[in-house]
Amino acid sequence: MKKTFLISDLFWIGIAAAFCYGGIQLGFGSFHSPHAGFMPFLAGLILGLLALADLAIGLVNRWKEDKEDREIWANISWGKLLLTVALLFVYTILFSTLGFTISTILLLLFLFRVMEPKRWWVVAVSSVACTGLFYLAFKVGLDSQLPRGFLGF
Amino acid sequence: MELFNYLILGFSVALQPMNLFYCFIGVVIGTLVGVLPGLGPVAAMSLLLPATYHTSPVASIIMLSGIYYGAQYGGSTTSILVNIPGEASSVMTCIDGYQMARKGRAGPALGIAAFGSFIAGTIGILGMVLIAPPLVDFALKFGPPEYFSLMILGLMILTFLTSSSMIRALMMAALGLVVGTIGLDNISGLARFAFNIPELLDGVGLVPVVMGLFGISEVLLNIELKVKREVFTAKVEGLLPTLEDWGKSIWSIGRGTVIGFFLGILPGGGAVIASFVSYAIEKRVSKHPEEFGKGAIQGVAAPESANNAAAQGSFIPLMTLGIPSNVVMAMLLGALIIHGLTPGPLLLSQNPELFWGVVASMYVGNALLLALNLPLIGMWVQLLKVPYSILFPIIILFCLLGSYSINNSSTDVLIMMVFGVIGYFMKKLSLEAAPMVLAFVLGPMMETALRQSLIKSKGSFSIFFARPISAICLIFAIALVVMPLLPWFRRRRPGATLEQDDVT
Repeated sequence: MKKTFLISDLFWIGIAAAFCYGGIQLGFGSFHSPHAGFMPFLAGLILGLLALADLAIGLVNRWKEDKEDREIWANISWGKLLLTVALLFVYTILFSTLGFTISTILLLLFLFRVMEPKRWWVVAVSSVACTGLFYLAFKVGLDSQLPRGFLGF
Repeated sequence: MELFNYLILGFSVALQPMNLFYCFIGVVIGTLVGVLPGLGPVAAMSLLLPATYHTSPVASIIMLSGIYYGAQYGGSTTSILVNIPGEASSVMTCIDGYQMARKGRAGPALGIAAFGSFIAGTIGILGMVLIAPPLVDFALKFGPPEYFSLMILGLMILTFLTSSSMIRALMMAALGLVVGTIGLDNISGLARFAFNIPELLDGVGLVPVVMGLFGISEVLLNIELKVKREVFTAKVEGLLPTLEDWGKSIWSIGRGTVIGFFLGILPGGGAVIASFVSYAIEKRVSKHPEEFGKGAIQGVAAPESANNAAAQGSFIPLMTLGIPSNVVMAMLLGALIIHGLTPGPLLLSQNPELFWGVVASMYVGNALLLALNLPLIGMWVQLLKVPYSILFPIIILFCLLGSYSINNSSTDVLIMMVFGVIGYFMKKLSLEAAPMVLAFVLGPMMETALRQSLIKSKGSFSIFFARPISAICLIFAIALVVMPLLPWFRRRRPGATLEQDDVT
């Protein structure tokens, strides 16, 4: 049993159902006067039917042309992966509050350590240098409005 | 004679110091992102899009175009020397290019890739000059039904040519359409799926979606991989191919150019598909197909020529019809709209300096790339030695700040992260991101064309079959959906054949 593909198809069916429902709520209209919900409903319906067809084909031939679950999820450093994703979400949330400089230095400190253990002073110098270069590129070069944060920088 | 005058106008625009400078910047960045795995031209273009707000429309399009075709050049370097394609369109170059490098022939492989790219790029530009003006006259006959059917055909071609299951590629296209409906309805002005988030009223941004699907997801995948890079630096010598090499490659370059150019024009086509198809055809027509995969120079010349010719060809549907044929062109569409220009049949008559300036800059850019890629190969090789542990935080930071700087909004960064995670799972399940992004871009245009057509026909779908251009497009699109259902054809589908024979 290849659970990954089963879950994937069910997920897309769920998304499709949500958009079809949303489309109906917005108002489908009619074919000669389509309303705002027309396209979301139509696109959701197509997505749902395709996912359903993929699920049916998979169930009939037991996903024999697809990779095994083990093959897909083997050799993944879950710790590194989840830590990176979590860090990025935290950075996104704290970016405006802490400001560009502090949040970016903190993010780079962790990211440089995640891949390969290096000495802390190397990581610290690299993080500060990188943050400085990015500041120059985005703030000075591209004139971006980077957040200053509560400390003012 | 008129064409000649337009070309003179084009070169007078392209050779202006500021435009020349932006062309140079574009091709350098393009080569750089082509060389570096994990950061492609789409991510680089989306990153630099905000930077073009302050420049003239011509300069910004020249720079963004330079990134695209520059990446095609740069991608070959990593494919040949490291066996890691810097770009998806360089995947086929790995097969024979890397084998040539292992045999001590990295120099001629890099040389023929650069010369092939230059020749293809040059012929591609000539093709653009000849084809674009008549196509503009043809495009003026298009109404909403024709536009809708052409966009459907483009999506079908893209899903048909993808290497994964067609049904899943279609699913991803449908997902793109669904995501494209988020935001204000173009006709009634009603907010759809915005959940009271002001940033979502304008719809989900293209840049966060692209950066998430192509940038962040690639980095997340690379975190788990332990790829050992073996760079053939000691043997990069003799970049000029010998007469024998030229004799073997010249027809491959010619075939690759023609195939690439026409696949580039086709809505849904592009550099990736062109390189795959040209490699497959080259192997078929060769008297020694057994040499392919073992270091045949034709296996480098054909896909490298094809991907460059396709890069030039794909500008045609955007500039003449206003329809992007692939994700990169969708980025350019965004750039044109930001500058208040409407791509389509009127662009050529209303802004000739933009169209011909960009065309001429491609020629200048191709010459610059030849100069950049051959003598500076050592510098690009040094870049390949940068460890991934240093590269990946930098790529992530580029994506984060790039997404933020579009609207100075953390919501865009959050959207990018969500699409990064979705993209990671999509890659794990071999679900293609390209049909999704193209459908996402085309979705709002398709919706408007569909609704306008239905209002015009009082709800009758026969309008799409009553008009010849629309009917032809839809018949082809239907044929592309039906064909994979035939068992005989399933075995011969281009993506399927390539997957079995070569990519593995």
